[in-house]
Amino acid sequence: MSKAAPHKRRRVETGTDLCQVIAAPIVWSLHFLACYVWAAIHCEKAGRMADLDPARTGIFVLTGIALALIGFNTLRLWRIRARSLTDDDFDYDHDTPEERHRFLGHVALMLSVLSGVGVIYVAIPAVLVGTCR
Amino acid sequence: MPVIASHLHAWRRNPNPWLGPATLALLAGCNPAQSVLHPAGEDAAEIARLFWVMAVGAVVIWAVVFGAAVFAIVSRRKPTTERGADLVVLFGGVVFPTVTLGALLAYGLTLLPDWGPGEPPDLRVHVEAEQYWWRVRIEGPDGAMIETANEVVLPAGAEVDFHLTSPDVIHSFWIPPLGGKMDTIPGRENVLRLRPTTPGLYRGICAEFCGASHAFMAFEARVVPPEDFTAYLAAQAEPASGDASAFVAAGCGGCHTVRGVVELGATGPDLTHFASRATIAGILDNTSEILREWIAHPVAFKPDARMPSYDMLTDDQMDAILAFLGGLK
Repeated sequence: MSKAAPHKRRRVETGTDLCQVIAAPIVWSLHFLACYVWAAIHCEKAGRMADLDPARTGIFVLTGIALALIGFNTLRLWRIRARSLTDDDFDYDHDTPEERHRFLGHVALMLSVLSGVGVIYVAIPAVLVGTCR
Repeated sequence: MPVIASHLHAWRRNPNPWLGPATLALLAGCNPAQSVLHPAGEDAAEIARLFWVMAVGAVVIWAVVFGAAVFAIVSRRKPTTERGADLVVLFGGVVFPTVTLGALLAYGLTLLPDWGPGEPPDLRVHVEAEQYWWRVRIEGPDGAMIETANEVVLPAGAEVDFHLTSPDVIHSFWIPPLGGKMDTIPGRENVLRLRPTTPGLYRGICAEFCGASHAFMAFEARVVPPEDFTAYLAAQAEPASGDASAFVAAGCGGCHTVRGVVELGATGPDLTHFASRATIAGILDNTSEILREWIAHPVAFKPDARMPSYDMLTDDQMDAILAFLGGLK
C-alpha cells in the first residue's frame, strides 16, 4: 500500500470507470460478430466452394483495427496501473474510492488482455481456412 | 436380459470366452473392432494422432504444474522477487496457455476435411438410419442401387462417400476405426467421406441417442481388398431365389423385400442376400437357432423394434421360413 511509484501517474481516487472496464470486451464482441457475419454473408452469396479470400481480407483489416483499439486501451491501463500483477495492490479491504479504482483498473487490464487473445483466436481460422467449406 | 447377453455379436469376438459377461461389458471399450485408437482408415488415424498428441501434452503440463506445486510446498527457499513472481504469472498464466491453445486450434483446423464436389469419390454408399437399423444402398459402377441392411462392405484404399439421412429421428453414423461420426438428420442429406485402409471386420454404431434400442443399433463394417469388393458387389446385385411360400404366407413379405422373390413392401430391412450377412439385425450371430428366437420375439433383443412378434407360427411354418432365409446366400 505504501508504494509511491505505481500511483504517480494518476490522481488518487480517479483513473478508471466501468466504461473502460467493458471497452475491450465490447471491441472483442463487435469484432467477433463482424467477422462471422461477413464470412457468412460472403459464403452465402458466393457458394459453398467459393474462395474465402475477400472475407479474409476484411477479417484481417478488422482484426488489425480491433487489436489497435485494445492495445491502446491496454497501454492506457498499464500506465495508470502499477506494473505488478502480484503486489499488495490487491489489498481491497477498506472499501474506499481509491481501492475501487485500483480494483477496476486491475479488472479492466485483465479483460483487455483477454479480449486481445480472443480477437486473435477469432482470426486464426481465417488464416488457415481457405474456402467456405 | 440374459438371452441378449448370450448372443450379442460383438462379444463373440472377445478373445477370452471364459470371462463373465460383466467383465466383457467393461472390456467392450477395448475391442479394436470399435476403437478409434486402433485406426483402420485415414481419418481415424488423424483422430488417433490428435488424441495422442493431446493426451501426452496434457500429461506433460499436468506433471509440470504439480511439480511446481510440490516444489513450492517442500522447498525451503526464500520468497522470490516480485518481478520474478510477475514473470511466472505472465508466462505460465497468460503467454503459455495462449500459445498452446492457439497451436492446438491451428492443428485442429488443419484436420478439417477440404474436399469438394470437383473431386468425386471412388464409391458412394447411401445410408438411411432408421429406428433401430441401417438401410444401406451401394451405388454400383453403372449407377444402379444395390440394397442391403445392417452391413457395410467397403474396398480398402478407396475414397467412399456416405450419403446419410433418416426417415424418423436424428441418428449418428459412426465406424470408429475408420473415422469420425456424422449425424443422420431427417429431411437432410449429410455427406461423410472416409478412406478405409486396412481390411478387417469393424463395428459401426449409432452415436446419437435415438430411442429404446439405440445401444443395439449397430452394424458390421467389413473392409475387403478391392477385388473381393467387386465380387461382393456382383453377388449382391443378383436377385434371390427359393421357396418363399411360408415367408409370404406369414406376411413377412409385407415389410421385407427379397429381390426376385417378394417385392411387396420395404418398411423393414431388405433380405435379398440375408444368409451372406454375418449378423441378424446388426447385433446377433446369424445362426438359425438365434434367428428362430429373433423372429418369435424381436423386441426381446431390440426393445421398441417395429417388427411384431411371430411366436404364433407353428414349428413347420418357422422351419420353412428359416430354410428359405438360410438359402438366401
